[in-house]
Amino acid sequence: MPVAVRPPKHGAMRTADSPAVLHAEHLTKRYGRRPALTDCDLTIPAGRLIGLVGPNGAGKSTLLQLACGLIAPTSGTLRVLGSRPASTPAHLARVGFVAQDTPVYASFTVADHLRMGARLNPSWDQALAERRIAQVGLHPGQRAGRLSGGQRAQLALTVAAAKRPELLILDEPAAALDPLARNGFLGNLREFVAELGASAVLSSHLLDDVERVCDHLVVLSGSRVQVAGDVPDLLAAHHRILAPRDELDRLPTGVEVIRAERADRHVRVLVRAAGGLPPIPWPVEPVRLEELVLGYLTRASESSAAGAAPSAGEVRR
Amino acid sequence: MIWMSWRQFRTQAIVGVGALAVLAAYLLQLGMRIRDSRDSYLGRCQPQGDCAQAMSQFVGEHQNTLLILAGLFGLLPGILGMFWGAPLVARELDAGTHRLVWNQSVSRRRWLLTRLLFVGLAGAAMTGLVSLLLTWAASPVDAVADDRFSTVVFGARNIAPIGYALFAVTVGTVVGLLVRRTLPAMALTILVFGVVQFGMPNLVRPYLMTPVDVTRPMTAEAINEARGLGSISSAAVVRGLTVPDAWVTRTSELRTTDGRALDADRFDDCLMRPPKTGATGTFGDAARCLGELDLHVDLSYQPNHRYWPFQWLESVIYLALSALLTVFGLWRIQRRVS
Repeated sequence: MPVAVRPPKHGAMRTADSPAVLHAEHLTKRYGRRPALTDCDLTIPAGRLIGLVGPNGAGKSTLLQLACGLIAPTSGTLRVLGSRPASTPAHLARVGFVAQDTPVYASFTVADHLRMGARLNPSWDQALAERRIAQVGLHPGQRAGRLSGGQRAQLALTVAAAKRPELLILDEPAAALDPLARNGFLGNLREFVAELGASAVLSSHLLDDVERVCDHLVVLSGSRVQVAGDVPDLLAAHHRILAPRDELDRLPTGVEVIRAERADRHVRVLVRAAGGLPPIPWPVEPVRLEELVLGYLTRASESSAAGAAPSAGEVRR
Repeated sequence: MIWMSWRQFRTQAIVGVGALAVLAAYLLQLGMRIRDSRDSYLGRCQPQGDCAQAMSQFVGEHQNTLLILAGLFGLLPGILGMFWGAPLVARELDAGTHRLVWNQSVSRRRWLLTRLLFVGLAGAAMTGLVSLLLTWAASPVDAVADDRFSTVVFGARNIAPIGYALFAVTVGTVVGLLVRRTLPAMALTILVFGVVQFGMPNLVRPYLMTPVDVTRPMTAEAINEARGLGSISSAAVVRGLTVPDAWVTRTSELRTTDGRALDADRFDDCLMRPPKTGATGTFGDAARCLGELDLHVDLSYQPNHRYWPFQWLESVIYLALSALLTVFGLWRIQRRVS
């Protein structure tokens, strides 16, 4: 059975004054019998650019759609900026959402989209919207149906951002973009979110994207949260140890093995030591973010492969 | 939200107004032509003082055209339901744009209610205008023909069509919300609307007000006024009995003095092998033979003076159905979702 790792809640202390942008308790979403999100506990502090990574089908979209109230949880609770997602128009105004594949109205012009934003959002910032449209090279008279994928993503992001939300949610915004457009989009996004002064959640199945722009990471796999935390904290809490084989069980308490890889007579072990690593007689190296994420994803896929047999039995019953 | 409703409805509205203009021009021209025709009939018969025959010729000349128009007009609300109602939500779900618009600072319920009211009222206005013009154009014929309660004509005059249009658009919207894809929603909309429009005049309308019951003795003369005798099931029935200034909603089988249905064999005897007496009339000897059996039928009818109460009742029913569907849609859109 996969073991749910309760994410370390380091953000909690720093942001005791402002509520978490997202707080989930036992959050579960099933489509029929297929679980999309299982028993997730997650707290994301404010003021971050949060990256949500995981393989396709891990539950990223589900989590984000739950967060903006497009779908309702099967069980558990989810609070976004302190209240139920999409509970009131006032709450809707505080959350901006760019859905996967960035839907826009094909028959509307770019200007129509801005006008829609202005009419439907009391907090709309027309100057910001116009500035951004000009910045990314869109013309107000263009029909949205004729825009390229990158332009459409920019338009959707502009509409979501110009209502000046406190939280901006982006579901795979760069997925449809070619590498060049993706580069531009993500580079632009970071500055833009900083300018807005908002928190942002960004999902991607590409770690590269997330590593470039995010300062807080949530790793999702097999419908469960594997690990979550601020990037520097995560890097500080994880280490690579080169331990002799057969001596792994001598690891001190408080050190959790995430993944072990055999190399000659040694084992390369990715460990987490949340409270700092106690003295260890073996060589210790820092880890890169990519390695850390891969460690968790590998562990998740191995444990779900091991758990496949019983779960198949469950379905048959 | 009003701007948004208008912007999304613009193309359909332009098509609708275009069609309306053509239709209105035709109906105005038709109305003038019918009036001219009535005047020329009256001009020819008035010197002789008896215009009954001329008037029935006048009705005969225009009745078919008006009946076809009424039939086509009966489709209009269904078409509005298909092309205006069904795509209202379904197209958003199809294109995924609901994920854009439902995340603006407008609650989903307000979004749905505003758009539904906008399109529903546009549909009601369009249907109302066509109904007004058709009612006006046909009024010289209707005044003489005395068939305002007939199934097709009733639903194509005055205010009843407005209720149909509101209902059809609401059905389309709610079906679209449930089915979530535009084309199936359109097909299902016209189907549901068609079933309701069939059921209403046949199963509901006759009972909207308690009908008046009357027993009519079936003398040979009375039988000769009927349109037909007997049926495929060889039951003892007369068809097409009328009551002046009324809509006959039910005609019983031929009954004997003890109130029981006439025996099918005796009926057949009279129909197939009546004694030859040389009687005249539509059914000749058969009518005479039946007339001698001292039969009667029980009729139920709605007098014509109930026409306006019926128009209002039917409108209120469709309005209430639309309101119920709207409430369901508002409840549904809040819980369901992608």
